[in-house]
Amino acid sequence: MDEVTKVYEGKVTHRAINQLNFEVKKGEFVAVMGPSGSGKTTLLNLISTIDSATSGMITIDGLSPEEMTKNELALFRRRQLGFVFQDFNLLQMLTVEENLVLPLTLDGLPIKEMKRRIVDLAKKLGLEQILEKRPNEISGGQAQRTAIGRALIHQPAIILADEPTGNLDSKASRDVLELLVKVNQEQKTTILMVTHDPIAASYCDRVIFIKDGEFFNEIYSDERRQTFFQRILNVLSLLGGNVNDLSTIRLP
Amino acid sequence: MSAFLQARSKEFGLLLQLGMEKKQLNKLIFLETMLIGAVSIATGILFGYAFSKFFFMIIRELLQLDSLPLYISWKPFTLTMCAFFSLFVIIAMTSVVFIRDQKIIELIRGNWKTDEMQSFSTVKAVLGIVMLLFAYAAAAFTTMNVVKALSIILPPVAALGTYFFFTHSVMFILHQMRKRKSLYWHRYRLIAVSEVSVKLRENARMYFIVTIVSTFAFLSVGTLTSLSSYTGQFRELNPLSLIYSSELTNPYESEHISLIRKELEEQGISYTLVPFVIKQQTSSYSQYKVNILRESDINSLAIALGLPLISLEAGVGMFIPYSEESIKSLANREIQTVLEESNIPVQIKGVYPQMLFPSMVIGSNIIVVSDADYELISEPLEGRTAMTSSFNFYAFHVAAWERTKSIGLSIDTQVTNSIYNEDYTNLPFYFENPGFNYSIIRATFSLLLFTGLMVAAVLLLAAGSFVYFKLYTGLERDKRQFDVLKRMGLTDRELIKIVNRQLLPQFFLPWGIAMLHSAFSFLSLQVIWSNLAEVSILSDMILVLVGFTFIQVVYYFLIRWRYIAHVRA
Repeated sequence: MDEVTKVYEGKVTHRAINQLNFEVKKGEFVAVMGPSGSGKTTLLNLISTIDSATSGMITIDGLSPEEMTKNELALFRRRQLGFVFQDFNLLQMLTVEENLVLPLTLDGLPIKEMKRRIVDLAKKLGLEQILEKRPNEISGGQAQRTAIGRALIHQPAIILADEPTGNLDSKASRDVLELLVKVNQEQKTTILMVTHDPIAASYCDRVIFIKDGEFFNEIYSDERRQTFFQRILNVLSLLGGNVNDLSTIRLP
Repeated sequence: MSAFLQARSKEFGLLLQLGMEKKQLNKLIFLETMLIGAVSIATGILFGYAFSKFFFMIIRELLQLDSLPLYISWKPFTLTMCAFFSLFVIIAMTSVVFIRDQKIIELIRGNWKTDEMQSFSTVKAVLGIVMLLFAYAAAAFTTMNVVKALSIILPPVAALGTYFFFTHSVMFILHQMRKRKSLYWHRYRLIAVSEVSVKLRENARMYFIVTIVSTFAFLSVGTLTSLSSYTGQFRELNPLSLIYSSELTNPYESEHISLIRKELEEQGISYTLVPFVIKQQTSSYSQYKVNILRESDINSLAIALGLPLISLEAGVGMFIPYSEESIKSLANREIQTVLEESNIPVQIKGVYPQMLFPSMVIGSNIIVVSDADYELISEPLEGRTAMTSSFNFYAFHVAAWERTKSIGLSIDTQVTNSIYNEDYTNLPFYFENPGFNYSIIRATFSLLLFTGLMVAAVLLLAAGSFVYFKLYTGLERDKRQFDVLKRMGLTDRELIKIVNRQLLPQFFLPWGIAMLHSAFSFLSLQVIWSNLAEVSILSDMILVLVGFTFIQVVYYFLIRWRYIAHVRA
């Protein structure tokens, strides 16, 4: 990201992101933290190419979304990006299996290949027992694992996660985060995660802090997660964000 | 009503959360409904009155009245207001009931119904299809003997079948499809099919109602057009414009004929008069009375009507058809008979290829013989005198036959009076004015048709609007879903394709079933009609069904356009 700025025009002009610079390496697991209204979601929307920057350049894997047509962008998202959302956004009318296979059907892959990938993924994510269930019949953790499966099934280059643990209890959160770490390490998938939760952030390789749309600080992980977590908390207190934004849990 | 309130359930929930009493909420809803009612009644009356002149003009045209001026009276206004106000009061009262027992949290969440996968019963699914097929088969192969019984049995069977079809059979079919992955896991089908199955399941009852309502609309218009297709064929069945037949003893004959001629001339209507004498004899072949016409009379009539001429040799005769159907049945008939009283042998073969006289005006046994043979008939019908065994027939041909409705009204009055005095059978003449009859039939039928069309239009619009409303209430959810899909890389073109596949069944499934229902009902109707009057209603039916299809397609595109605009926004 190079000098990226996003201005929302309207009755009140609002500068959501201001000259933001950062770089994510291939295979890196990065968390973006910041208080409410700091522009985290806007940032994610820009990277996921569903919104375009007012000025500045975003380059993903050597490609620039600005130069692509709408259609190319859609295909780019379909093949290169995977999404994980806070409220899962599974399609209620589809079963777990169908939710997983959804991105592949759009590309018209052969049935055999789709079935093979589902078997692989279900094993990896522990979804074998619930493939026939519907999203409202499974727990939050299972739903988020399904969503991650959906984001992984087309083997994207980058996974964009928006508060993936926001709606989960602590046990399910830990499962999901460990899963993300595993995916990151085994498949070398780049993961960019936006989060409020310092515990979630402490699983990452690097945490970028933004405030009011501007770069604030960044810290790298170290050997022990506990100390990394403590350092994240320190930066957060410096950030002076709203107290409510911080997790009430002090230690995992 | 519950659908309308459900759309606003969040708002009600919020009001209750802020501490509104249930009583106050009820008052609010009641007041709102009444307010909406008052405004809509006022605008309705305003627009209604503005367009009433237009309707008056249509009705004037239909009834062929000279003028139908606009008038103002307080009665229609009061009636409209009272009727609709009482309707709104009932709606307002009942709507309060719907939200009475809801928990606030459920109102805020907006999901009144549990979102569980409603299971279908295979038995009912199959039963639904079987009932429909049975109803269709029975309607298609009905005969006059059973049509009455069927018309009582079939509608409930078809209605119940339709209900099961929408609540169970559709689910069953979609479930079967979802089991076949090679069919189902295919590009847009995965989303479209699953979405359709949700929508159809959620709204199964509504689609059932829409189907029944549409069927009624199709049927009412179809029946009425079949009536007016009868009037359309009226001219073919009544090729002569004015008919006066008179016994030789009729004292009014010359008076009436000159009256008709005078009236025609006064109104400036050009006409051709073909008078002839019809003789009666007994046929040795059937022992029945036959009416005999002369070849040259038929030919002068044919010239006037622009029909083919005939030429007969001596001793040869030809049938004159007494009904449309008889043309076919008499075409290959050939009989040898003797006109008994005068002892003239005649070989009757073939039939005149067109209707000349309205059916049954002269009787069912009519033949035409050569002039020479005709002259030979001299003996009166057995048991009658020369004066009563033949009669004069005056056939008027008027090109502008619809304008003859005011001709010979005084003769008609005389006929009516004699019917009133119960000596109709003693009347020495017979007068028929098809133009006048036509104007009555046309006015009645087209008035009925007009009302039917209005009712059908309202019903169809209501059905379509309901589909649209349902789409609109589910819009938020659909929008969220498409947002997710767009993020996942759904192109615009794919989105439109999915929307198409989603909307098509919602629009055309109820409509298609309604079409089928009415098509098969018309098959039964044709049976009834062909017994009443020989009229084919097929072409008119097709026209009506095509017309409705067109309206539905337009409606589909209109709503698809709005829906896509909303979903994309």
